Amino acid sequence: MSEHTVVGRKVARVDAVEKVTGAAQYGADVHPPGMLYGKIVRSKHAHANIRGIDTSEAEKLPGVKAIITQDDVPSGRRVFATDKVLYLGEPLAAVAATDPDVAEEAAELIKIDYEVLPVVQDVMEAIKDSAPRLQGDDTKDGPNRREITTQIRRLSRDKENDHSDEISKLEAELENYPDEVYYNISAESHSDAGDVEKGFAECDVVVEDTYVIPRVHQTYMEPHVSVASADSSGKVTVWASTQGPFAIRSGIAGTLGIPLTQINVIGTTMGGGFGGRFGVIITHVPAVLLSQKTGRAVRVQMTREEEFTDGRPAPGCVIKLKTGATNDGRILARQALAFWDSGSVSGASIGSTIRVRGVYKIPNLKVDAYGVHTNKSGTAAYRAPGAPQAIFAGESQLDEIAKRIGMDPVKFRLMNMREEGDAVPAGASEPKVGYKETLEAVADAAGWWDREAGENQGWGVAVGDWTNGCGPGGVYVSVHEDGSARIFHGSMDITGTDTAISQIIAEILTVPYESVTIRRGDTDSAPYSTGSGGSVVTFTMGNTAKLAAEDAHQRILELASERLNMNVDNLELKDGAVHVISADPPKSISLGELAAYSLSTTGGPIVGKGAFARQPSTPALAAQIAKVEVDPETGRTRVLKLVASQDVGFAINPMAVEGQIEGGTVQGYAWAMMEEMQYGENGNINPGFVDYRVPTSADLPTVESVIVEVPAPNGPYGAKGVGEPPITPTLATMANAVNDAIGVRITELPIKPEKVVDALKSNGH
Amino acid sequence: MAKLQVNLKVNGDEHDLLIEPRKTLLAVLRDTIGLTGTKEGCSTGDCGACTVIVDGKAVTSCMVLGVTASGKEITTIEGLASDGELHPVQQAFIDTGGYQCGFCTPGFIMASKVLLDEDPNRSEEEFRHALGGNICRCTGYTKILEAVLKAAEEVRTTA
Amino acid sequence: MKNFEFFEPTTLAEASRLFAQEHTLLLAGGTDIVIGMKALTETPQSVISLQKIPGLAGITTESDGSISVGAMAKVREVELSADIQQHHTALAEGAAEIGSIQIRNLATIGGNIAHASPAADTVAGLLVADAQVDIASADGERSVPIDELFTGPGQTVLAPGEIITRFRLPAPASGSHYIKHKIREVMDLAFIGVAASVSLDNGVITNARIGLAAVAPTPIRATEAENLLNGNELTPELLAQAGEAAAAGASPISDLRCSAEHRSEMVDVLTRRTVQTAVDRA
Repeated sequence: MSEHTVVGRKVARVDAVEKVTGAAQYGADVHPPGMLYGKIVRSKHAHANIRGIDTSEAEKLPGVKAIITQDDVPSGRRVFATDKVLYLGEPLAAVAATDPDVAEEAAELIKIDYEVLPVVQDVMEAIKDSAPRLQGDDTKDGPNRREITTQIRRLSRDKENDHSDEISKLEAELENYPDEVYYNISAESHSDAGDVEKGFAECDVVVEDTYVIPRVHQTYMEPHVSVASADSSGKVTVWASTQGPFAIRSGIAGTLGIPLTQINVIGTTMGGGFGGRFGVIITHVPAVLLSQKTGRAVRVQMTREEEFTDGRPAPGCVIKLKTGATNDGRILARQALAFWDSGSVSGASIGSTIRVRGVYKIPNLKVDAYGVHTNKSGTAAYRAPGAPQAIFAGESQLDEIAKRIGMDPVKFRLMNMREEGDAVPAGASEPKVGYKETLEAVADAAGWWDREAGENQGWGVAVGDWTNGCGPGGVYVSVHEDGSARIFHGSMDITGTDTAISQIIAEILTVPYESVTIRRGDTDSAPYSTGSGGSVVTFTMGNTAKLAAEDAHQRILELASERLNMNVDNLELKDGAVHVISADPPKSISLGELAAYSLSTTGGPIVGKGAFARQPSTPALAAQIAKVEVDPETGRTRVLKLVASQDVGFAINPMAVEGQIEGGTVQGYAWAMMEEMQYGENGNINPGFVDYRVPTSADLPTVESVIVEVPAPNGPYGAKGVGEPPITPTLATMANAVNDAIGVRITELPIKPEKVVDALKSNGH
Repeated sequence: MAKLQVNLKVNGDEHDLLIEPRKTLLAVLRDTIGLTGTKEGCSTGDCGACTVIVDGKAVTSCMVLGVTASGKEITTIEGLASDGELHPVQQAFIDTGGYQCGFCTPGFIMASKVLLDEDPNRSEEEFRHALGGNICRCTGYTKILEAVLKAAEEVRTTA
Repeated sequence: MKNFEFFEPTTLAEASRLFAQEHTLLLAGGTDIVIGMKALTETPQSVISLQKIPGLAGITTESDGSISVGAMAKVREVELSADIQQHHTALAEGAAEIGSIQIRNLATIGGNIAHASPAADTVAGLLVADAQVDIASADGERSVPIDELFTGPGQTVLAPGEIITRFRLPAPASGSHYIKHKIREVMDLAFIGVAASVSLDNGVITNARIGLAAVAPTPIRATEAENLLNGNELTPELLAQAGEAAAAGASPISDLRCSAEHRSEMVDVLTRRTVQTAVDRA
C-alpha cells in the first residue's frame, strides 16, 4: 500500500524502555551534590499594596541559606512583586534551604504587610466603570462607539469642509452607548470583512447568544521545576522542564543580564506541556538567582497548588456571537464581540477570536475582541490557544441555526464548508484542504447517517480547524561503522516527536528503525532548535531531519562512487547498502563499510546537516461526534460514544497520531464537562485535584480515532502538525450532544449537572 | 524533633535510615534512597503518580508517613522488571502506545500490576473504574486501557 | 509540613493518654491528616499512630448476624467484605465511593468517621445500618449511636483522649442502597450522599432508615421521610412524598461545588432512587 518502509508505520517509541521503568529523568529527578531546595513566597491576597517584607524571623531558621526579594535582582527586571500584588499567589520572595520542609517553614515565617485593595475577578465586571483599575486606567471603545469615533476623527481631519453639524450629531449618538466604554482593557483586536449589517438583513434566521468559557489549566502532570547551578566563573547551568530550552536560555539572559553563552539550559524529560511550559520567570529565574546567591545548586519545584494559583493557564472568555443564515442553509453573516480574561498580564488569546469564522464561506464577518485585566495570574498557551473557546461559540451557534432551519447539522456544515480556492473571511484564499473529507469520515465512522437514540440520548457534532506553526531547527545525522545512524538535535520530545524524526532518518537512509538512535543536546551543544509547541516539531524537525538525511545520503553516494569506482548516477541506496543499478551479478557496499571507509577519506565521516526555518503549512480539520445520555433528574451526562477524525496530512507514526487525537479530544471533553478554575473574593478557590476535576478513565469510553490524510505540500511526507487540532471542536461537540439529548442549550461551560437541571427547569420541565 | 530509625525493604533491598517523622514515604523513596521513578504530581493523593506497592497493595505514597512504612515490603517501578525482562504490563504500555509524556506511567503501571495480580479477568469497564485513581493528561486513556487489557490477556494465558 | 513528635503506642490506654494532651493528632490511615499537615491546616506537636495497637482492625460477623467493624479496618476491606456487601450494601457502596483504590487501601473507616466531614461517604451507610460506635479511653469504654456522634463539621462528642475502636452493626434490615451525587465517576467528593435501608413485611415497609450526607452541618437522618414510609406499601406517590420530605429536612449550604437549592433537589431525587432500590433489594 505504501511506498514507504518506516514512515507511516506504527512503531514503539524511542524512549519506550526508560518511560516504563522509571529511568526517564524529569526535572525533579535531577539532584546535583549539595543541592538546596527553593521555595517561592507568595501573596496571600488577590490585590494589595505591599507595605513591607520582613525576612528576619525566616533568616534565623537553621538550614536557611538565602532569602531573596526584588532587591536581589541585579538587572532590575521584575521577578518579584514589590509595592503591589495583583493576584493571589504572586511571588514576593524566595528562600533556599537545606531541606524542602525547612524552605517551606521559612517561607511561612516571612511576614508581609499588606494593605488589602478591592478585587475584580469577572471580566464583565472588570470592564465597568465601577471596577477597580488594576493597571493604569486604560479605557477603550466598544464596537459602536469605535465606529462613531472613527467617523468623527475622519470628519475632523477634513479641514476644507465644515462638518460641525455632522460631528455634533455623531457625538450625540455616542451618548447612546454609555456601556461601551470599557475599563481595564489590556489589548484589543478587530477584523471586518464584507458588511455584516447588510448580511444580517438578508438572512431568514438570526441567532444571538452569549457564550461563557472558563479559565482552565493545562494540567500537565509534572509541576514546573528547575534546578540551577551557578559556578564561581559566572557560568549558569539550568536543568529545566520546558518546551523550549533555547527560549529559556534567551529568557534568562534577558531577565538577568547574563551573556547568552554563559547559560546552558538542559531540557529534562517533560511531563506534559500543552503550551504551558514556556515561562521563564515561573521557576527558572528564581532558581538561578538563589543559586547565584548561595553558590550551590538549587531546585525550585512548584506544588500542584502553586500551579493553580501561579501557573499560566488558558484564558476564559465571554463571547457574544450573532449568526445569520437563509432558510436554504447559506450562512451570510457572523459577528462576535469577545472579552478575554487576561489576568494580570496583557494579551490572552484575543487574536483567536477570528476563529469564529470556522471553515465556512461566510461573506460578512466582524470580530471585536478585548483582553481584560483581572486579579488573576497571567495566561499562556494551551493546545490551539484560543481556538477551543471561539470554536465552542461558533459551532454551538451553527447547531442552533441548523435546528431552526430544519437541516441535518452535518449536511449544513458540509454545504457551507470552504474548499480549495474559496475566500477565507478576513483572510487569504484556501489552499488544498480536507474539511469535507474529514467531516464525512467521522460521520461515517460514528454511524451518523443511521444513528439511533434512546430516551434522553443525543448525538452532537462539531468541527475545529488549526494550522500548525513552524520554527527554526538544526539536525545532524552521522552514520557509524556498524551501519547505524545517530541523530543529534536540540528540540524537546513532545510525546513522540523524537520517534517521528528517527523514522524519517531511517526511511531516507534505508536502515531499520531500530538502528537509528537519537540524542538531544543542551543549548551549549545542540544546534538551535525550535520550541516544542504550536504543533511545530514533526513539521519543522521532520523537514530538518529530512534535509540532514538527504545531505548524508549525498555523501554516502559519493563515498560509494569512490569505493566502487562507479558514477553516482548508477548507484542507489537501498536496504542499508549502496547498490550498482542493474549490476549482474549484483554489486553493493553496505553503509557500515562505507562509514568505515569514510574515516580515511579526504571528505571525512558521513555527517549530514539539516537546517530549516520556515514554510507555511496548510490547515488541518478535526471533526468529532459524541453520543451522550443525560439524566434529566440529576443533570449528569454520560458519554456513550466519542469518535474523532482528523486530517493529519500524513501519519508518520499512526500510533502516536492516534494518541494525540485521543488525548486532545479528552482534554476538550474535560473543558466541556468539568474543568473550571473558580475564583472567589480572594482568588482561586479550587487549587487542587479535588475541586478542579480532571477526568479519569472511569469517565470515558474508548475514543475512536479516524485518521484522514490530505497531504500538506510543505510537510515531511505531507505531515501536518497533529497535536493541537483535536481539542478544538470537543467543547461544542459535547454541548451539541447534550442539546440533542434533552433540548437544552448550555452556553456557559462546564456543563455541570446543576446547570443542566436548571436549564431543564427554565425549559418548563 | 528527633529523627527516627526505620528499616525499609524496597525492591528487595534493605535500607536502614534515620528520617524525620514528617517525611512521606514518597519523599524518602525519592530524596533519601534516590529512587526517582515514583513521581509526585499533586502531593494530595489525587493523581496516583506516586503509586507504589506496599505489602501487596497499591497505595499513594505521598499520603504515607515514611516512619509508618518501616518493616513493610515496598515495590517501586524500578523493582518491577526482573533480570532485565519487562513485566507484561510494562511491555504492553510500549506495544500499545499507552504512555506519552510518561510522568503518570510509573503510577499507572504499579496500580495496573496489582489489579492484574488480583484479577486479570476484569472487564474493560471494571479496569476503567479501578484505575480511576490515576490521572493521565496526555492519552485520553484509550491506549492505557488497551495496554492493561493486553497485559491481562498475557497474564491469563501465561498463568 | 511542620515537624512533630511521632508515637506508636501498642496499647489503647497508652494511645489515649498521649492523645489526651493538647496539639495531638491520631494517625489511622493518614489520608486526611497527612494532607492536612501538608496544607498546614493541621500543625500538631505530636502524632499518635494507632497502627501498632492490636485488635483495632478486622471485620467479624457475630452469631446473631451483627457485624463488628474495627475502626482500623481499611475502607477497601469494608467495600470488599462479602458480609457487608450482602447485609449492609449501602455501607459497602459508600466505602467504594471514597477516593481511589490506592486511597481506600490506606484510609480506615474509623478515620473517615472521626474526621467528621459531613460529606464522608461511609457515614450515610452507617446511619442506615443503625451503627453503634464503641469508644475507648484510658478511663474506660462507652458506646454511642452513630446518630449522636457528630456535633458539627469536624466536630464529634469524642472527649480528649477518646478513640473510636469499633462500629457494631446490628442485624440488618433487608435492603439498602447508597447514591452519591458527583461529577466525576470516581475520585469526587460527595455533592450530597443518600443512603436508604428498609425491611419489608408482606410488602409493607418497616424499619425505613434514610441517611443524608453533605446536606447539613452534620450527617443527618431524614426522619420525616422515614415516618412516611414506615407501615406503608411503596407507591409512586409515597415515594414522591418521601423525597420531598427528605429534601425539606435538609439544610444544605451553597459552596463552590453547587448551590443549596441544587443540593435540596438532589436529596429529593436520590432519596426516591435509594428508597426504590432498597425496596427492590429487600
